[in-house]
Amino acid sequence: MAGSTTTTSGVYVQVIEDVISKVRDEFVGNGGPGEGILHELQGLWEMKMMQAGAILGPIDRSSAMKPTPGGPITPVHDLNVPYEGPEEYETPTADLLFPPTPLQTPIQTPLPGMGQTPLPGTAQTPLPGTADSSLYNIPTGGTPITPNDYPAVHDSGGETKAGRPSQYMPPPSPWLNQRPPLDVNVAYVEGREEVDRGASHQPTTQDFFTMSSGKRKREDFAQYRAGGYIPQQDGAGDPIPDELKVELLLPPLSMFLYTSVWGHTSSSRPDEVGLQVAQGANAPHHTGPAHQTRVPSRIPQVDGPIPDPYDDALSTPNIYNYQGVVNEDYNVVNTPAPNDLQAATPGLIAQNDIVDDDDDEPLNENDDDDELDDVDQGEELNTQHLVLAQFDKVTRTKSRWKCTLKDGIMHINNKDILFNKATGEFDF
Amino acid sequence: MATFELYRRSTIGMCLTETLDEMVSNGVLSPELAIQVLVQFDKSMTEALESQVKSKVSIKGHLHTYRFCDNVWTFILQGAIFKNEENQENVGRVKIVACDSKLLTQ
Repeated sequence: MAGSTTTTSGVYVQVIEDVISKVRDEFVGNGGPGEGILHELQGLWEMKMMQAGAILGPIDRSSAMKPTPGGPITPVHDLNVPYEGPEEYETPTADLLFPPTPLQTPIQTPLPGMGQTPLPGTAQTPLPGTADSSLYNIPTGGTPITPNDYPAVHDSGGETKAGRPSQYMPPPSPWLNQRPPLDVNVAYVEGREEVDRGASHQPTTQDFFTMSSGKRKREDFAQYRAGGYIPQQDGAGDPIPDELKVELLLPPLSMFLYTSVWGHTSSSRPDEVGLQVAQGANAPHHTGPAHQTRVPSRIPQVDGPIPDPYDDALSTPNIYNYQGVVNEDYNVVNTPAPNDLQAATPGLIAQNDIVDDDDDEPLNENDDDDELDDVDQGEELNTQHLVLAQFDKVTRTKSRWKCTLKDGIMHINNKDILFNKATGEFDF
Repeated sequence: MATFELYRRSTIGMCLTETLDEMVSNGVLSPELAIQVLVQFDKSMTEALESQVKSKVSIKGHLHTYRFCDNVWTFILQGAIFKNEENQENVGRVKIVACDSKLLTQ
């Protein structure tokens, strides 16, 4: 494992240096924050990587702590000591692109600063002297380097010139390596955050999000619509004002929850949904002025199955109707543009809120949600193992799945492993 | 050049994102510049994986969940076995997220 870990670390170091060198123009150029901030960025990034165990700390640190620019080759060479057959790494371009001098500042600066004020609470107090030192105090609240590390750091820099892990340097504390579990369902979290954010000034959004049963309490709306507008409690539904629809725009990845639930009566245009709903709304007690002005001139379909654009548009494997061919290839790119889906979503959600669908319950309404929740909980409990890659091909024969992946990053058993190609064979 | 934001969820990408978040919230970095850095990371990481990584891996396991949405495959495996040239890793549960490689070449 040492070999692949080292390679991963080496690639990471090169990626960092590549990124830093290629954004340098933006930092140094017109109006940019300057070279110092770029160094800070690199220093923080590398420090986090070392804490995560993704970069072999002693190597980078020893090169970063070199006090004199006398050895631009030495630190680079250090990086490659553990490699076997490292011809391609012997003369990395990073040597030319990134001389070791800039490395000094970012690493050295934060360590003393953090040692003095390790508490994150002191973040907002600017320290006398350079602005840099105060900057470092702020972000490292989660995983600061403990003061105990400082002597070791300097020892490794001063006494050991080789890039091998210094015997004087204790390995990082286990908790330093314990990164918070990566949330692989980032999209959902972000979606929730979006909703929460929207809810702060438009709480109705929140209401839609939790409204899956079609039942709601009157008080829910009373607090939202204090302006005198009494929302519909039964019947087919009201059209909703435009500003509400705007609020209903959700991130694309969270929307499939709704599409799965409401897809059977979905319409691809928000307006159509609103109009369609308004057509069926006959209960007089909840028709407001807003509704009168929005009476549709066009009569939409109110009964019978409405063609579902999602059924055709989404190329999700049609497993359940699957009967004929033995092999299927899922690699055809015919998923609609995200914009289309996003445009359709608000209408669907609006319908969700408005239609009282007790006797029109969609099939499989809550199926996948529960499953997703289970997965989420399981992943939060366990160490997160994650593979990020590109797929070349995914095929299925009966319950046997085969896929070819490439250019992947795996985070498995707390190790990062890179691969150029991967083949997967799964039984469903 | 088209890139994926996929790799931002890797260790190196998360570390960069956290760093940028901190620097932006501290006011030393503009959000626009932070985005530029992230985009550059997308490119650099993709290039590095293409040019510097040669290893091959085989993955086997029980497919617990599969999902294909917006051209992204998601697999959740149970009892997965990862093998590369020199060693093997066993994982109780692993998630695979894969973007369509053809989208990069288009």
